Amino acid sequence: MNPFALAHLSAGIGAGLTIIGAAAGIGRLAASAMEGIARQPNAAGDIRGAMIVAAGLIEGATFFALVVTILLAIAK
Amino acid sequence: MSALLLALLLQSAPAQPAAQASAQPTESAEAAAGVAAEHGAVQESRAEHAAAHESGGGHDDPALVLAHHVTDQPVFGVWSNHLVYVVLAALIVIVGSQAALRSYRGGRIPRGLGAAVEGLVLFVRDEIAEANIGHDGRKFTPLLCSFFFFILIAALLGLVPLPGYNAGKWSYSATTATANITVTMGLALVSFAAQQYAGITKYGAVRHFRNLIPPGLPWLLLPIMIPVEILSMFTKPFALMVRLFANMLAGHMVVTTLILLIPLLAQIHWAGGVVIAPVSIALSLFILLLELLVAFIQAYIFTLLTAIFIGMYAHPAH
Repeated sequence: MNPFALAHLSAGIGAGLTIIGAAAGIGRLAASAMEGIARQPNAAGDIRGAMIVAAGLIEGATFFALVVTILLAIAK
Repeated sequence: MSALLLALLLQSAPAQPAAQASAQPTESAEAAAGVAAEHGAVQESRAEHAAAHESGGGHDDPALVLAHHVTDQPVFGVWSNHLVYVVLAALIVIVGSQAALRSYRGGRIPRGLGAAVEGLVLFVRDEIAEANIGHDGRKFTPLLCSFFFFILIAALLGLVPLPGYNAGKWSYSATTATANITVTMGLALVSFAAQQYAGITKYGAVRHFRNLIPPGLPWLLLPIMIPVEILSMFTKPFALMVRLFANMLAGHMVVTTLILLIPLLAQIHWAGGVVIAPVSIALSLFILLLELLVAFIQAYIFTLLTAIFIGMYAHPAH
């Protein structure tokens, strides 16, 4: 099998898996943030700040996988 | 300031011509086909961004066009436009802070730029520096402000299409300086140096490394903990580097890919280009708005994590 075809195929699969992980993590985060705000509306500002920081960190982990995927996709 | 200087030093000439050399053979292979188109492109390259690279650069491969737009290119005779934008962002930060200081002259209450900058600086000092580093967090505030404003200004500059002149052609491109791994490596190295400085000046070199081990640890776990802790000393700035780099790069790649759909579909049939154009532009607009939000968030996260790591080494209260 052509190695570049394998690389492109794995890049596609990797991108799909990456987005599954990222969306699952950030979805859970958003759900618990919503619950927290619903329970205590006057803590909404703090919860929102913590949510954004946590989302940034989760995305940071996602981008590690994304960099690997991009390296596979642009393999020569 | 040190962050900017180190980022400048790492953006050195030897790294860039290597990237240029690998791009040259590909360009010369297409040059024969693209030369005639290139002459026509000189007149019209000022206009449409999408049309310019189809006829002007001689690139037919969409991957090459994408790579050409998100990677480092020479501009104004300088080998790297990311270098130019690093210097530009640094100049804006320095000149802007001096201009903001002017509104404090004579003991006046600051208004305008001074008030806006004061709000952000107080936010960095109180919420980021003192909250995470503790009572001696104030002396790290200039460094954290440098990080915050430089990353923010560099990301915002990357959303503005500014003109560039290269190889006899004017073109507009929106370049984010921090979308280059060497720039973010410079920032991460300064962050790493600040973390080690915080620990070593407070505890001395030997005790700084002994502080890595949590107290009350059974000695059997030491062979595992020592490599893990030393490794984590390096993975923290590495994660900072990759997070900022990938966030800044991904936004531009998505926008370029969306806009690239227009000439791609137009090559099949002109009506395809017409149909996809409003969709592409609407989606790109949404992604650009998201990038605006991401610019602020990533500047905040880089600064916050640097402060947290400095606090971990200055106050190892495990």
